[in-house]
Amino acid sequence: MSRAQAILMRLLHLIPVLIGITVVSFLLVKLSPGDPVRLMMGDRATEEAIAVVRAQLGFDLPLWQQFALYVGNLLQGDLGDSIRYRIPVAGLILGVMPRTLFLAGYVLCLAVPLTIILAVLAARHAGRWIDQAIRVFSVVGMTVPVFWLGVMLARFFGLELKWFPVAGYGETFLEHLHHLFLPALSTAIWLVPLLVRNLRASLLEQMGADYVTASRSKGLPEGYIFRRHVLVNSALPTLHLLGVMVAFLIGGSVIVEIVYAVPGLGSLMIGAVLGRDYNVIQGLTLFYALATVLVTLTVDILSTLLDPRVKL
Amino acid sequence: MNIRSKLYSALLAGAMLVSAGQASADDVIRIVSGYPTTTLDPARSAAAGNIETFGQLYARLVRRNADGSLEPGLAESWKISDDGKTVTLTLRDAKFSDGSTITADDVVFSLLRVRDLPDSAYSAPLQQMADAKALDPKTVSITLKTVFAPFIGNLEVFNTGIVSKADVEKRGEKEAFAGAPVTSGPYMVKAWKPNDRLSLVPNPNYWRTGYPKNDGAELIEVGDENTRVTMMISGDAHAVRGVPWSQVADLQSREGISVPLEPSTVIFMTLLNHARAPFSDLNVRQAAARAIDTKAVTKAMTFGHALPANTTLPGALDFHDKSNPGIAYDPAGAKSLLSGKAPADPLVILITDNPEAERLAVLLQAQWAVVGLNSKIEKVDSGVWWDRVPKGDYDAAPTWWYNETPDPDLALRWALCGSCGSKSFYTNYNNAKINELTEAAAAELDTAKRAELYRQIQEITTSEVSQIPLYYPPYANAYSKRVTGLMMTPSLQWTLEDAEIVQ
Repeated sequence: MSRAQAILMRLLHLIPVLIGITVVSFLLVKLSPGDPVRLMMGDRATEEAIAVVRAQLGFDLPLWQQFALYVGNLLQGDLGDSIRYRIPVAGLILGVMPRTLFLAGYVLCLAVPLTIILAVLAARHAGRWIDQAIRVFSVVGMTVPVFWLGVMLARFFGLELKWFPVAGYGETFLEHLHHLFLPALSTAIWLVPLLVRNLRASLLEQMGADYVTASRSKGLPEGYIFRRHVLVNSALPTLHLLGVMVAFLIGGSVIVEIVYAVPGLGSLMIGAVLGRDYNVIQGLTLFYALATVLVTLTVDILSTLLDPRVKL
Repeated sequence: MNIRSKLYSALLAGAMLVSAGQASADDVIRIVSGYPTTTLDPARSAAAGNIETFGQLYARLVRRNADGSLEPGLAESWKISDDGKTVTLTLRDAKFSDGSTITADDVVFSLLRVRDLPDSAYSAPLQQMADAKALDPKTVSITLKTVFAPFIGNLEVFNTGIVSKADVEKRGEKEAFAGAPVTSGPYMVKAWKPNDRLSLVPNPNYWRTGYPKNDGAELIEVGDENTRVTMMISGDAHAVRGVPWSQVADLQSREGISVPLEPSTVIFMTLLNHARAPFSDLNVRQAAARAIDTKAVTKAMTFGHALPANTTLPGALDFHDKSNPGIAYDPAGAKSLLSGKAPADPLVILITDNPEAERLAVLLQAQWAVVGLNSKIEKVDSGVWWDRVPKGDYDAAPTWWYNETPDPDLALRWALCGSCGSKSFYTNYNNAKINELTEAAAAELDTAKRAELYRQIQEITTSEVSQIPLYYPPYANAYSKRVTGLMMTPSLQWTLEDAEIVQ
């Protein structure tokens, strides 16, 4: 099977996944208690007015009819309108998506180089003080709660030193870089230790492998062996972990988005859940599923490039 | 470690370069609130964030000045007929943001759609209106079902703003308010990013010449209260709504920030479900009320920034009875009232999942336990809370409400009148005498006599413990001293058009 065929097959696998997600997310939001119409219209809306709007939105129909309508629209590429905002869900998601993707990309730009440097340092000096120091940093980074770290970084770098804005997203590319630095750093601080621990372990494992001893016996320089063989062979497990984490960041950057008031997908999801905005919740769930599958596919393709033995 | 610290320094230096390259675009007023704008149609929501927005977009026929008294708005004058049932309003020369003239037809259209649209969120302010007619392009005649003292004041309520009939008919109800509505108020919408911010620019055709005094504003939605405070301190916000009480003193002590604690029509109280035992029993309600030391609760909840509530009506409303002694704190009396009546099963205290509600619920639970009233706290999100309370699926529910105008009529209809549609804020309190007094007070044009009727209403509902009044908080809004003229009126409206940035 050629690579193109393999990719196509993987994309076809998406279909049952999306059908499953659609059914589950639809049932979950519809069966959970709480009325979006009451929340949208405010405390003092009369029961009659609420009933009228519920009927307008089709909430008085039997559940299977509501599902049929939803799926019918979905098949035509229509995610429906937000109940709260009365505007199309697709536009709402696409409007805030760049911020979350920017943030995820920013986190990667900070985390990947840092991971490689720290893991290589730790592995090459295994057991020495530098390894211990990196281990302490890792434990601290993984255990400090992100919301606390976020608040502390904002207060210190934002309020005391005034180096970075404490909230928002900015207008231009440079402003995005400036505004999102603290959110990206807060995320990187828990992400990097995870990746460092993982990469360090694989590096140590590979450094003791037979082929390394064989290379040494051929007289190859240590640096060359490390870069050309050890590092590449160790990267695969960490790459897969990173893929899972990127998918998680796209869907789950809720806490940093809230602490730093970055109106991205995470805060859209929180608002939608609290406001019972059914269509937005379902639209976002589908989007997350799609993003997860695509990220995993990208990681698998990258794996085949790094290691020709791996097949899609 | 060296490499790491070098990397950090390099990143920080890079970021500082970026910050140095930015222009300071400090010409719009940024207001940060936890309450979202979810619609731009004044008829379709009465939720807190939208109320604040509608006031900036749509001018009303009358307006309130800084001291709260009514003055002409889009109507430059009005006349009330001798029988009190016909109001004739004369419009001033004014234009919508698209340059078209605001006519009597627009006024009639705007008022009738709030009263009549089946999905109108809050038609109560205009329920006494029998008919509205345009006599000529500048004159509107409104006939009332009965004599109704609060009517002119109700024309100032947030959802009675004037919208363009021609535009709504041309673009349709949905499209006309989708993103760029034609406005009659001080501002127009520059951009609306749902879940993020509403950017406003001055409406060049606004009838108050010289207003707004600023180049525009942004209403920014930030749900986390700590983030809002951080934005205030950092200068990212010119005003923030809802500072946590624990941080008020800290903000007040900072240079360049003021927290004036403006009076509000908010009342914190606990709903009691009169439809089922034990709170269907007056003695149990009175016992529950006497068990609570409202002074201590007020102090604990608001760090002493609020006043203990003495009646069932908000303290900032007209005709609030300051002489009413309130319900005395009397745990011994509460115990004897309860003797033999305390339920075996614990009461359900239903709250929304937020720290303030939780603190309040814990305080109530502890004080009720002292007199032998056991309870359990159920925390739900606001979606579930609003599902259960209207259905009467609770025993007690500490929460708050406010009134959108200083006149108490709408407050009564919402919270104390059993025949006015909301079952006395879903407590199921229904006293025929109160229902009668509500109508009588609204129809009374003599201020002294009205005051007496509202005094009676407060006396009866407080002694019958329709709800347990707890405290009257001011608004905990913080303002940058770089902005002058900005405040929030008791009826939840920013005086944004008067605000100026001083350099």
